[in-house]
Amino acid sequence: MNGQHTVGVTVNGTSYQRSVEPRLLLSDFLRHELGLTGTHVGCEHGVCGACTVLLDGAAVRSCLVFAVQTDGRAVTTVEGLGGEAQLHPLQQAFHEAHALQCGFCTPGFLLSLLPFLREHPDPSEHEIREALSGNLCRCTGYANIVTAVQRFVAQSAPQAGARVSGAAR
Amino acid sequence: MIVEGTYPLPGTPDVIWNLLMDPEVLVKAMPGTKELVRTAPDRYEGVMRIGIGPITAAEFELVILLTDMKEPHSYAMQIDGKGRAGFTRGTASVELSPDGAGSMMHYSADLQVGGKIAAVGQRLLDSVSKLMTRQGLEALNRELQSRLGGAAV
Amino acid sequence: MAGRYVGERVLRLEDARLLTGRALFVDDLQLPGLLHVAFLRSDEAHARITRIDATAARSRPGVLAAYTATDLGDYWRPGPLLVPPPPIAGLVFHTATQVPLARDKVRHVGEPLAMVVAESRYLAEDALEDIVVELDPLPAVTDLEAALLEPASLVHEQFGSNLAAHVQQRKGDYAAARAAAHRVIARRFHYDRGAAAAIENRGVVAQWDARVEELTVWDTTQAPIPIRNGLAALLGLRESQVRVIAPFIGGGFGPKIMMYYPEEVLVPWAAMRLGRPVKWIEDRRENFYATTQERAQIHDAELAVSIDGKILGVRDKFLHDTGAYDPYGLTVPINTQCTLLGPYVVPHYDSEFTAVFTNKPIVTPVRGAGRQHGVFVMERLLDFAARELGIDRVEIRRRNYIQPDAFPYDHEILFQDFRPLVYDSGNYPAALEKAVELIGYDGFVKQEQPRLRREGRHVGLGIVSYIEGTGIGPYEGARVTVEPSGSVRLATGVGTQGQGHFTTFAQIVAEVLGVEVGCVQVSTGDTREFTWGTGTFASRGAVVAGSACHAAALKVREKILGLAAPLLGVPPAELVLEAGSVHVRDAPEQGMRLGELARKANPLRGAVTPGTEPGLEATAYFGPDRGNAASGVHAMLVEVDAETAAVRIKRYVVVHDCGTIINPMVVEAQVQGGVAHGIGNAFFEQLSFDENGQLMNASFMDYLLPTALDVPSVEMAHIETPSPLNPLGTKGVGEAGAIPTGAAFAQAIEDALAGSGVEITEIPLSPNRLFELLEAARGAP
Repeated sequence: MNGQHTVGVTVNGTSYQRSVEPRLLLSDFLRHELGLTGTHVGCEHGVCGACTVLLDGAAVRSCLVFAVQTDGRAVTTVEGLGGEAQLHPLQQAFHEAHALQCGFCTPGFLLSLLPFLREHPDPSEHEIREALSGNLCRCTGYANIVTAVQRFVAQSAPQAGARVSGAAR
Repeated sequence: MIVEGTYPLPGTPDVIWNLLMDPEVLVKAMPGTKELVRTAPDRYEGVMRIGIGPITAAEFELVILLTDMKEPHSYAMQIDGKGRAGFTRGTASVELSPDGAGSMMHYSADLQVGGKIAAVGQRLLDSVSKLMTRQGLEALNRELQSRLGGAAV
Repeated sequence: MAGRYVGERVLRLEDARLLTGRALFVDDLQLPGLLHVAFLRSDEAHARITRIDATAARSRPGVLAAYTATDLGDYWRPGPLLVPPPPIAGLVFHTATQVPLARDKVRHVGEPLAMVVAESRYLAEDALEDIVVELDPLPAVTDLEAALLEPASLVHEQFGSNLAAHVQQRKGDYAAARAAAHRVIARRFHYDRGAAAAIENRGVVAQWDARVEELTVWDTTQAPIPIRNGLAALLGLRESQVRVIAPFIGGGFGPKIMMYYPEEVLVPWAAMRLGRPVKWIEDRRENFYATTQERAQIHDAELAVSIDGKILGVRDKFLHDTGAYDPYGLTVPINTQCTLLGPYVVPHYDSEFTAVFTNKPIVTPVRGAGRQHGVFVMERLLDFAARELGIDRVEIRRRNYIQPDAFPYDHEILFQDFRPLVYDSGNYPAALEKAVELIGYDGFVKQEQPRLRREGRHVGLGIVSYIEGTGIGPYEGARVTVEPSGSVRLATGVGTQGQGHFTTFAQIVAEVLGVEVGCVQVSTGDTREFTWGTGTFASRGAVVAGSACHAAALKVREKILGLAAPLLGVPPAELVLEAGSVHVRDAPEQGMRLGELARKANPLRGAVTPGTEPGLEATAYFGPDRGNAASGVHAMLVEVDAETAAVRIKRYVVVHDCGTIINPMVVEAQVQGGVAHGIGNAFFEQLSFDENGQLMNASFMDYLLPTALDVPSVEMAHIETPSPLNPLGTKGVGEAGAIPTGAAFAQAIEDALAGSGVEITEIPLSPNRLFELLEAARGAP
């Protein structure tokens, strides 16, 4: 049997302590150990971006991170953004712009966008597309996702920085 | 996948031939070889471990059959490697010709690769096989030099 | 059927759950005692199995079972033929379907050899290494022509050749047409394999409850009802003992309509044997072999034209790669055969194809399902004809269109639904004119392009036309129920993979019943909720299931009027349904909430008039007489860098006709997504198999899906020619965006490189390939 390591990690503001194998991927840890199944797995080799979460505020592919690497750190997943009763403004923008179809890649897009928008509160269309280019979507053809981001930017304007960083930490 | 080239080696073809037939030398000359046993005059069996890109430390069971032995000039090989990360098989040939005081080795291999290694390691197969070949030839060279009482390893 | 909801851009009712990560996908299921599966798959494309021994795997801690073909006993059998060949005279078809675990022989890389069930996926994969397999390799059949002419081996020895099928459909007399032609344009075309690559891989979870003797299966399938029926038969259960649920699915695109995949039949079997729930989730590398794909074909085609560019006839002879097995019959090549005719009058047609077995993964429909090959061949032949005859490429299409007054138009050959290919409605000239206007065709050809050429820039325009057969039968059904709370429950048998059924079907029902669209709660893909139907495929959901929803809602409407009329003391004709109530027209206070009426319709005591049905509920089915014909025109502007052969899409225009539009927001998104898929297929995506049947790019690192930088925002316009074949007048749209993209690309790039001598007769291209073609045309060594 592989040796077990203890991991103490804060996810969406809640602290967890678990004993895990060193080879357990963060994506599997979040989904199956903690039951946070909003983070989806599309390729397990770091290309599609569906599994993107925030690790201490930075976007990472959770399929390329081991759970043990998150010991003592903070993770944000899509469940930490908003609930059905009160969507995060970026989620609301996605809804209004019809920026999702099957929804499988969507959490990855949302989490990838948060740090980007924190840093670039007023991006051009090309900058938006560049920022999105690390996430694959097979349903939408991306156009409405770009529109959703533009809608979010237009609606957030002065509060963009504060609102986004509030959710990310 | 084709791997071919030439390489100058110190020593006459006779000397090199004997070295090539010695499993202990081959273990040193084939990077990643954990063990190699000559189970018959024309047959080697062993285990190799190599890494290609995203696949680290893939283990292969290797069987090499020697054919067309024309001592000390040339021989051919049938190579069959199988492991969890995939397989490789094909043929290879080695020719030794006198080159001044030493020899020139002409080698050529035509290998089929399959399984996980072929599926995700494709871009690296060429460069890895060239690297391994170069490492092997350099190791062979060093071994030859030391046996001939030349430079230290 | 314009009105409050149909035709409106209603925001989706299902979004909140998906956006917050609370929607259930198959891998999200957590059940007590859940076991996990890993499959040992063949590394060889073609080999005899000389030894397979799972004993060591079984004794690894954490492993509950390891099965090989022998362990399946009587359960081992080839899957059913899902789609029998259409009744075409002289047709030859050899049935060879996939098996649950390979026995005696493996026929493609990735074919399953053994199944391990363990406490975790990690442990199950560890145990795969313990299984001893000896495979004796055979020559792999990979080249379509060599497979037939001089096969080094046979994929299925019992047939004596690698021929899977041979079909010829003819109308008129092509030989005579050819003899009378001013020109005959002949070319060979290649279209290569691609994967659907939905972002969610496949998965199956099965749970057998021995106390109530019921099996529940969660499956990423586009066809839950047929899966339920097939599993019940295989496992010796009654259909009513099996419940199949297709929850939220992360993209379908076709391969998830393939049925009785090995994993689908084995996971439930294992769950019943082991008495614990069992889960298998495919990983991405497996998906490249274990999930079906499409679409290698080689066409030798010719077009016979008159001096003024009128089509006299077409002859097309093609080879179709069906892979190692052919469970899906001939759907894909028949689609090719039929879709080639397009929106054109083709008086004489001779189309012949041979489907070939190869040692590659199985081919079944993937978005477009063979239609894009037909479009590519016809559009390219027209382009070459236009060039040779000195006719403008838009003009040559105009001259050959079926005119708006010629419907229904009978092409006299058989379509994939076994019915004659008859187009129901359309207006092809109007779509072309609209596209010409939107892309600025005249201005571009006359002024802009010459100006850009003088600047040394290579910008080209492609404009192509197509038909998409959609909305085929056999049927779908729906049940509408008004509940005492006033909310409306709609259940239908089709599944949903992102098309917005939870909203579009609710729109249809809400409009008929006069309720808020948000009050209609939709259930799709659960066989407990609705038990009859065939699935989501071939762009038929809105047409067939939507029409069933409409029919069921109409029946409920009749019940409401029939019940309310005597209660309110007026004839039914004086009643209206509005804002969740039924009331006398112009007298809203003389009415009743629908929920209250539903309560009254279900008395606990007393007597009813004999023959009355309780409640406000009705079930209805819809089966069209035949499929209908959606159509469109795509136009694009590309710029090609003459040195690097890099291609940039500057504009993409789609004029599309899918009949009556239920939700324009959803339709436009389907087209945009389809175009992205088409761009991927035309330019970035290619499954590269070597001559030994090894897939050399089984990952997203090397199989390139287009990103947000590669897909432009599509400019769209709609033409609406309602279909007379269903009460909504609607046609399908799911595959439309992906069908003509290759043809548009080819024309645009040739136009950009006009004068270079480059002719594009293959798909996909890529900067590499385009560079090679450019160099070859320049006569470089």
